Amino acid sequence: MLFPTLAFGVFFLFVYFTSWSLDRENGRRKLFLLLASWFFYAQWDWRFVGLLILSAVLNWGVAALIARRPEARRTWLVGLGVAANLLILGFFKYYGFFVEQAGDLLARFGWERDLPLLQIVLPVGISFFTFQGISYVVDVHRGKTPPAKSLLDVMLLMSFFPHLVAGPIVRASDLLPQFDRVPRLTREMATHGLLLIVWGLFKKTIIASELATRLVDPVFFDPSAYSSIDIAAAVYGYAVQIYCDFSAYSDMAIGIAALLGYSFPRNFDQPYRASSMQSFWRRWHISLSSWLRDYLYVPLGGGKKGLAASCVNVMITMLLGGLWHGAAWTFVLWGALHGSVQVIERLGRAALGDRKIMPTVLGVLITFHIVCLGWILFRAETFDLAMAMLQGLGRIGPVMMLTPFLLTLIVGGLAMHWLPPRAVESLTLKLKPAPSITMGVLIGLAILLIEAARPDGVAPFIYFQF
Amino acid sequence: MNDPNDDDVHPPHGPPVDPFPTAFPPPPVSLFPPVLVADPPSDWNAGADAHDLPTAEPPTAADHPLAALGRFAFPPGPPLDDDGLGARDRRWTSRIIVIATLFLLVFNAVSIQNWSRQQPPGWGTETVRRLSDVWAEQIAQTGADRPRQMVHDAWRDWRDMRFTGSRPPAT
Repeated sequence: MLFPTLAFGVFFLFVYFTSWSLDRENGRRKLFLLLASWFFYAQWDWRFVGLLILSAVLNWGVAALIARRPEARRTWLVGLGVAANLLILGFFKYYGFFVEQAGDLLARFGWERDLPLLQIVLPVGISFFTFQGISYVVDVHRGKTPPAKSLLDVMLLMSFFPHLVAGPIVRASDLLPQFDRVPRLTREMATHGLLLIVWGLFKKTIIASELATRLVDPVFFDPSAYSSIDIAAAVYGYAVQIYCDFSAYSDMAIGIAALLGYSFPRNFDQPYRASSMQSFWRRWHISLSSWLRDYLYVPLGGGKKGLAASCVNVMITMLLGGLWHGAAWTFVLWGALHGSVQVIERLGRAALGDRKIMPTVLGVLITFHIVCLGWILFRAETFDLAMAMLQGLGRIGPVMMLTPFLLTLIVGGLAMHWLPPRAVESLTLKLKPAPSITMGVLIGLAILLIEAARPDGVAPFIYFQF
Repeated sequence: MNDPNDDDVHPPHGPPVDPFPTAFPPPPVSLFPPVLVADPPSDWNAGADAHDLPTAEPPTAADHPLAALGRFAFPPGPPLDDDGLGARDRRWTSRIIVIATLFLLVFNAVSIQNWSRQQPPGWGTETVRRLSDVWAEQIAQTGADRPRQMVHDAWRDWRDMRFTGSRPPAT
C-alpha cells in the first residue's frame, strides 16, 4: 500500500477519524494505531508482521534489562541487543551477498564449494526499523531516554506506519514522550501536514515518476544506446528523481504523522544547495546521517583522536552507510566516494584553516557533480553499467530521450532547492487562519491538478528496497 | 415710548456706566501667598507632521452595529480551555478533509474508476468498479469531469512535445 494511492487514502481516512474518536483513551488509541500499522505492513507480506513483533519484543526486553542493571554490568546487554538487531538485518539483507562473495573468494583459491544459498525475501523497511531498535537500546543505555513504559509503546515506536517502510528514522527520545500523552492537533500542525502531503504527492507522482519512466530507467538499462546528452540528462534526472522520490516520502510521512497529532523530525533540507560534502550530509537524509554520526562515528572515536583517526572513522562510517543502502559493491563504492571526498575536505581544512578557497557557487557546482557521480554508482545495477554510463558521456549522437517536458522537470526539480528554506512553513502561517471550506477546496483543487497530470499507476519508492 | 424711570436713559447718579470697562481698580491684596506650581513641560514637537500623529483605529468587523447586535442577541460563551481549543482545531481539520474528499469525489470521479479497474477481480473490487462506473457516468453528464480532462489533455500535449531534430527511440 503506497502513500499516493487511493487504497492508502481510504485507509488513512479510516485511521484518522477512528484514532481521533479514541482521543480520550490514549492506550486504546495507541493500540488502534498499532493494529492499523500492522495491517498496513501486512499489505506487503503478512508473514513479516511477526518479524516486526519479534524485533520490538527483543528491543523492549533488552532495554528493560539494561534499565534495571547498574551501569558497569550492562555493557554486554547493549552489545547483545545491538548484535541481535544486526543479526536480523544481516540475515535478511546481506546473507545472500556475503555467501556469494565467499563462494567467489573460495573459487579463486581453488576451493569451490556449494555454499547454502537461500532465496530470502527482503522485508520492506527492515533497515529502518532495525536501526530504530538499535538507537532505542543504546539511548536507554546512555540514559538519553528512559525505557518505554510498556511493550505497546515500543511496538508502536517501531511499527508506526508513517515511518515504517522508508523513514525518517524517528528516535525513541523523539517519539516515546509523544506517546505518553494524548496528542493535540493544532491548526498549524494540520495545515503544515496537509501542505506537506500535497507537496510530497506532487514531487513523487509527477516529477519522480515521469523522470523515472521516461528518462532514467530506459537510459540506465542500456546506456550504450544513447548519446551524451541523453546520458547526462539521465544522470541529472536521477539526481532530481531520487531527491523528489525520497523527500516526497519523508514529507508525506511527516504530514500524515502531523494529522494524527505526532511530530517527526525534518529529513531533508535542500541538499543540492550544499557547498561541501559534509554540508550535503547535513541536508540529505538527516535522520540517517545523524544516526550514523551518533551510533557509529562517535563510538568509533569521532574526531577526538586526531586528524588521521577522524579520517579513518569517516571512511568506515561512509562505507558502512553505503552498505546499509544495499548489499552490492556499487553501494560500497558509493559510500567510499562520499567518504573520500569528506576526507579530502577535512585534510584541506586542516591545512588551510577556515580560509575560503573558492566561491560558494563553485563549491555548490563541484559538490553537486560529485554527488551525481555517486548517483551513477548508486543507480546502476552493476559496476559495468556504471562504467558504460560514464563512457557514454563522451558519445556524440542524436537526442532521443530528452524532451522539453523532461528538461523542465529536471530544471524545476533543481530550482526548488533555491526556494526560501522554510517555504512550506511560511505558507502554513499564511493559510492557517483560512476558513475550513477555503482550505478544503484549495487542498482538493491541488490534488485534482496532480491527479490530472500524473501518469497512470505509481512506482514504489526507491528507498523501499533498503 | 420711553419710560421716564428707565435708568439707562436717565441714570439717577452721574454719567452712564461704560458697558465694556477697560480700567479696573487694583485687586485687593490676598491674605494667602500665591501657589507656585511650575507649568508641565510642553509636548509640542515642532518637527512633527500632523499626518504622522496617531489617529483612531479603523473600525473592525466586530465594531459593526450588526455584530454588536449579534453579540447582544447571542452572547459568546466563555473562552475555550486547552481541550476546547484542541477539539475546535480537530473539527476544523476534519472539515477540510471531508470537503477535499467530496470535492475530489465530484471532480475526480474517474480516478476511482481507474483504480478499481487496476485491482485484481473479487467481490469487493467488482462492487467498487460498478459503483464507480455509474458515479463517473452520472458526474460526466453534469460536466464536472471537464476541468480534469482539460488539464490532462494539456499536460499530455506538453509531455509529448519534442525538440526539433530529436529522434524518438525505437519502441
